[in-house]
Amino acid sequence: MTAAARVLVAWCPDLASASDMEGCGQLAAVVEEFCPRAEVAGPGTCAIGVKGPARYFGGEKALAAAIAAALTRRGYRCRTGIADGLFAARLAARAGAVVPAGATRRFLAPYPVGVLGNAELAGLLARLGITTLGAFAALPAAAVASRFGPAGTAAQRMARGLEGRPLITGPPAAGLSVACEFDPPEQRAEPVIFTARALAERMHAGLAGRGLACLVVEIQVSCADGTQITRRWRHDGLLPALAVVQRVRWQLAGWPPARDDAAGGITALRLVPGQLVRDAGRQLALWGEEVISGRAGRAAARVQAMLGHDAVLYPVPGGGRGPADEVALVPFGEPRPARLPAGRPWPARIPPPSPAIIYPVPLPAAVTDASGNPVTVTGRANLSASPALLAAGDQVPMPVTAWAGPWPVTERWWRPARACRKARFQLVAAGSAWLASVRGGRWQVEASY
Amino acid sequence: MRAGFAQVTDGFAGQPGVLPVLPALAGLLPGNGLARGAVVAVERPGLLCLALAAGASRAGAWCGVAGLPELGVVAAAGTGVNPGRLMLVPRPGRRWAEVTAELLEGCEVVVTRLPGPPPAPVRRRLEAVARQRGGVLIAAGQLWEGALVRLRVTRRSWAGIGNGYGRVRACRAEVTAEGRGAAARVRSCWLWLPGPDGAVTAAEPAGVTAGEHGGRAQAG
Repeated sequence: MTAAARVLVAWCPDLASASDMEGCGQLAAVVEEFCPRAEVAGPGTCAIGVKGPARYFGGEKALAAAIAAALTRRGYRCRTGIADGLFAARLAARAGAVVPAGATRRFLAPYPVGVLGNAELAGLLARLGITTLGAFAALPAAAVASRFGPAGTAAQRMARGLEGRPLITGPPAAGLSVACEFDPPEQRAEPVIFTARALAERMHAGLAGRGLACLVVEIQVSCADGTQITRRWRHDGLLPALAVVQRVRWQLAGWPPARDDAAGGITALRLVPGQLVRDAGRQLALWGEEVISGRAGRAAARVQAMLGHDAVLYPVPGGGRGPADEVALVPFGEPRPARLPAGRPWPARIPPPSPAIIYPVPLPAAVTDASGNPVTVTGRANLSASPALLAAGDQVPMPVTAWAGPWPVTERWWRPARACRKARFQLVAAGSAWLASVRGGRWQVEASY
Repeated sequence: MRAGFAQVTDGFAGQPGVLPVLPALAGLLPGNGLARGAVVAVERPGLLCLALAAGASRAGAWCGVAGLPELGVVAAAGTGVNPGRLMLVPRPGRRWAEVTAELLEGCEVVVTRLPGPPPAPVRRRLEAVARQRGGVLIAAGQLWEGALVRLRVTRRSWAGIGNGYGRVRACRAEVTAEGRGAAARVRSCWLWLPGPDGAVTAAEPAGVTAGEHGGRAQAG
């Protein structure tokens, strides 16, 4: 049970959304000035092994400070942290701490079990009264293995400051890498990403044939003019095929480059698995686990190849006061938690039934009273007159037969860029019920029932 | 693929060759369900399209939706659509026909909004894909020529909301179905669309028991 290798993590919260992978590449480029083998460990997170660079830069603390200073100079808000293993180093980066060698288990002890990133295991542990990593790490390893299986063992090893899975130091994975050549060179990123899916599945089949799995994958993209975009991607758990595809997409996010006719298209894509571990397998739960049927998944992949990855979506429950906030739409095949948690009370939300039609962009509307004047709402939610006519979008004005409101909503006043103050109404006109709102003196229709 | 289909069909409560629908809608459709390979036209996109897909979705079928960026997923879930088996393509753009055909390959029920009256070759191709894969196409918006059934909401009455008081609690709607072949007879029925809990169930005609839910019903 050797301790995990010392890892430094640079974390930029501003780049932490997956949509800004171009910025993430720049982050990796800055870190690569200190250590050539930088690994992107997720959006806005970059990791390096500390052992060599720390000696060169005069100690771990000096290295962490130097990288933080270099990133701050380039205008990134960032924090760096060092600990044993990637998992602990991530948390150390959030705390901005350099955890001394061997003290990682003590550093992790007060964190809640939720940080392990396994919601199912965390929920179960919390119900068993084990709420912190310290309490989880103190359980006998054999008991954890028999009760929670390989995933539980890996999680406990991380809680103890060890590598989740012991590495196999053996012959390099040259025979396991897979490649695909594009002739003629591919000018668009989408077909390359589509090919990456088949390629990733082939790589996994090769690994599975030897009972292995990989923690790191190196993605090499060759261009027609000889340039090569190479990046190493790391993951705490194992990298399933879809996660590999996602990382190819992130790597190509900044492609094609702004300077045209420079790269001349992609000629080859190569995936090299690294840091191999024994694959302990994964047992599906007896019930309750949604398995996407092959037929539906294939159809989604074909539409994604046609229109782009973000064209096919599936709904994830979210939280919020407006009807549009209650569901977050996530690209198909990508696990991502909703922006705000579901299942909270959300005072001032619109009570059920929920509208069947929610306009992605609210329609501009005009609401007038019986004498033709626009209906206004004061800051104290006083109404100037009863609504009599509703004109939604470019439709002709419809007589309002019933209405209710105003229901004031004041959201995120502490964050001016996303603050929102409005008064909601329900109006029945022309046989339909509409959810309308007044914001800054302007009426808009948000949804219809 | 056919063998896979037979397994799925066995799981369903309806007859083979027919996807189940909510009990309240069964009377409107020939064979009391969505006949596999059929096209059902709905006059306007809305809760009725979602409710049509709900029975099959609840029984485990995948439901694809093309060209409806304004779909209310929570309302769909209220009618019984399983959000975990929903696949949305909000903006298929010019490739609408190809996307709908791909969705029919992968999903048993596909709800689509027609960008305009579809040309006859496109219509025939989509009908052929639906027949071959045993799926059902629910076409919203323009009326689909040659659809098995055409559904329309003819009257709606809202419960729970008055002049400056209350809130929308439920809606009673009269739905009329007409079609060809076995569905040639015009049928109509009253539904809670949606009911107070979001579900779609059979309702008494409006005007008979109006105001049952604590508010004044407004005839639309």
